[in-house]
Amino acid sequence: MSIEVQTPRDGVPEILGRLAWTLIWGFARVFSIVALLAAWEILARSHTFTPFQLPALSAVLERIWSDAESGDLAINTALTLYRAMAGFLISAVGGVVVGMAMSRNAAANWFFDPIVSVGFPMPKIAFLPVVILWLGVYDTAKITIIVVDAIFPVIAATVIAIQGVERELIWSARNMGANNRQLLHQVILPAALPQIMTGLQVALPLSLIVAVVAEMLMGGYGLGGAMMQASRFANSTSVFAGIVEIAVIGYVLIKAMAIIRRRLLIWHPEANAPATA
Amino acid sequence: MTKTLIRYLPLLILALVWEMAARFEWVSTTALPPLTDVVRAWVELLLDGELLRNSASSLYRIGGGLGLSIVIGTVLGIGMAWWKPVNVLLAPIVEVFYPVPKSALIPVTVIWLGYGDGSKILLIFLGCMVPVTIGAFNGARASEQVMVWSARSMGAGKLRVLWDVVIPGAMPELLNGIRTALALSFILLVSSELVVAQKGFGFLIGSLGAGGSYDAMYAVVLTVAFLGFAADRAYLEIVRRTLAWRSVT
Amino acid sequence: MQEPAQIVVDNISHLYRPPRGREVLALDAVSLEVRQSEFIALLGPSGCGKSTLLYLIGGFLPVEKGEIRVDGKAVAGPGPDRGIVFQHFALFPWKTVRGNVLYGLERQGMAKAEREKRAMDYIELVGLHGFEDSYPSQLSGGMKQRAAIARTLAFDPKILLMDEPFGALDAQTRGLMQMELLRIWQRTPKTVIFVTHDVQEAVLLSDRVAVMSARPGRIKTIVDTKFDKNDPDIFKNKTFVEKVDEIWNLVKDEAIKAQGKRSA
Repeated sequence: MSIEVQTPRDGVPEILGRLAWTLIWGFARVFSIVALLAAWEILARSHTFTPFQLPALSAVLERIWSDAESGDLAINTALTLYRAMAGFLISAVGGVVVGMAMSRNAAANWFFDPIVSVGFPMPKIAFLPVVILWLGVYDTAKITIIVVDAIFPVIAATVIAIQGVERELIWSARNMGANNRQLLHQVILPAALPQIMTGLQVALPLSLIVAVVAEMLMGGYGLGGAMMQASRFANSTSVFAGIVEIAVIGYVLIKAMAIIRRRLLIWHPEANAPATA
Repeated sequence: MTKTLIRYLPLLILALVWEMAARFEWVSTTALPPLTDVVRAWVELLLDGELLRNSASSLYRIGGGLGLSIVIGTVLGIGMAWWKPVNVLLAPIVEVFYPVPKSALIPVTVIWLGYGDGSKILLIFLGCMVPVTIGAFNGARASEQVMVWSARSMGAGKLRVLWDVVIPGAMPELLNGIRTALALSFILLVSSELVVAQKGFGFLIGSLGAGGSYDAMYAVVLTVAFLGFAADRAYLEIVRRTLAWRSVT
Repeated sequence: MQEPAQIVVDNISHLYRPPRGREVLALDAVSLEVRQSEFIALLGPSGCGKSTLLYLIGGFLPVEKGEIRVDGKAVAGPGPDRGIVFQHFALFPWKTVRGNVLYGLERQGMAKAEREKRAMDYIELVGLHGFEDSYPSQLSGGMKQRAAIARTLAFDPKILLMDEPFGALDAQTRGLMQMELLRIWQRTPKTVIFVTHDVQEAVLLSDRVAVMSARPGRIKTIVDTKFDKNDPDIFKNKTFVEKVDEIWNLVKDEAIKAQGKRSA
């Protein structure tokens, strides 16, 4: 603890001044978003662009509302979310398991290492038509291509994370009598967690990107499919509505992930660091 | 030599298993044509110019979109770290735009710029700008106070500090952001070309698949995958040289 | 004091505002005068504001209350009349040793041939000959600090501000560097303000030691430590031992107080 001193400099005018600045910066932060949305609406209404090129924000919001009322929004959102999250969770669990196996077993490392180091930087989305050829166009195919794309960053992060666990930490635990199993669960995994989380935070947006592309290409229900359908009928209001809906899903999922990270890593110095954008 | 062979043996084994599975028809050869057929199809595609034509237009799109995003993203990111007003105006937009799965923008870029190069370049530009901007921002913001102070005490003005201390210090993070952007550019390129295009890798894959020439389709898929891998390795080599000061031994 | 002081710290108070939490009074009505070519140590427990005082003199932090004058002029920002050496070197990692030393000379607008020669002279002075083309990542801690000292000495500041410059070095290197600094200082006498929490180091190097109290930082006493330091067995020298003992007794209470506050 430190001595806290109220200096004579902090009179009422200074406090008011600081408050004013806080308000001004706070307003400025909202300002650019509001300005952007207003510019969208005004540009659309000014007939600078045709409604096909840029439907008004109000029209897009109305479309989202009517989609919500008809129940389409719920079905499409649920399906896209289901596919993206199923793919993500399989990648998360599978990636951590493979990564752990590679770190602890020489044979597993020998087999997977070249596959990961060559496969990670590849644009695996190119295999989408191959996946369609094998598995058709239904959920299995969509989830498979998501896993193919999202599992690599998780594996790579897990391997690097476990390699990075300090020797002294492991030796201390051994010294205190931890067996192999306890060592893994109580020391190695928690110590590796920050980096594994970073890998998951790469895999999550990737899952969404691939889910949307897979839906666009394979059709059927889901937000990506609905957008493709709309664009085929030159229905740009629905296309824009789709973007807004997908953007909201992306925003919520990524924020949720950041919150989970903070909760899990409450012991980590980063939890005490000032929040970043 | 032997070491490299042992290291990459698993890939050879996979290739061998592929070839055998197809040759002995453990799986349908429609779903998995033998690797040797794929190689033959690749040579044919190369000889009749089809592959080169489509490669050229795909690489042009990546070059355009990625190049634009690197230039503009770097300026925005460093601007955000250096001038508070820029940060206050742009940070909320970056924060809202960052989590948008960029593939959702494919139909809009087509509405705006049609089926050709423009829509792909725009999509890649928009998608890649995010990691570049964030990399430049984080790198520039993390510039060490003591280094800035050292430069100031040696007589460097604010702009000089930006140029001599902040930007070089931001390099590692910026180059990392560009690496993410490079990977993303391939993903967005192939996605958008698969969905709507008249040329490019994605288009070629789609049309060969639709025509039932699966061996040729596999050939193009593997070509794209290899190019993405090769681009990443080449980029890492460039980074290693640029950041030679970081770990010269 | 015969001659007028070169650096005048006049009734300085400074508030530290952490990104989160309450502000802390880091310095409370501190006054100090430093004469030209004097070597003064600021000594105190961690958190006593000694580095803050140094940064204020350097012009890196804004003076909010009180005034600091260097050669009669109020400090309003950093300037090449006051060179600084940091604990963690603050070398530009993307420049070689030579590039680092040249940087300040370039900023002073020195002609190319002259600055090349001057850079090499100072690299030699700190004993880094042969390492001028190495990057900082290739150097040991002691060598990095030599490079940082060369960089600062090269642009010839009148005043040298040193912020625990040997704090990040191992004990042997530290001892060598202290001797080295004394040697360099005797060859190029400058006004030095040297921040440290090591009592022996302070007594060994400086003419006077300003002992600071724990938060809020105040100058408790100033002890005169000017005596002949050329004794090869200085650590057993009677005057030296007495001075160390005297200052240690002054500092001990403050260190204990600072510990208590942090663990509370």
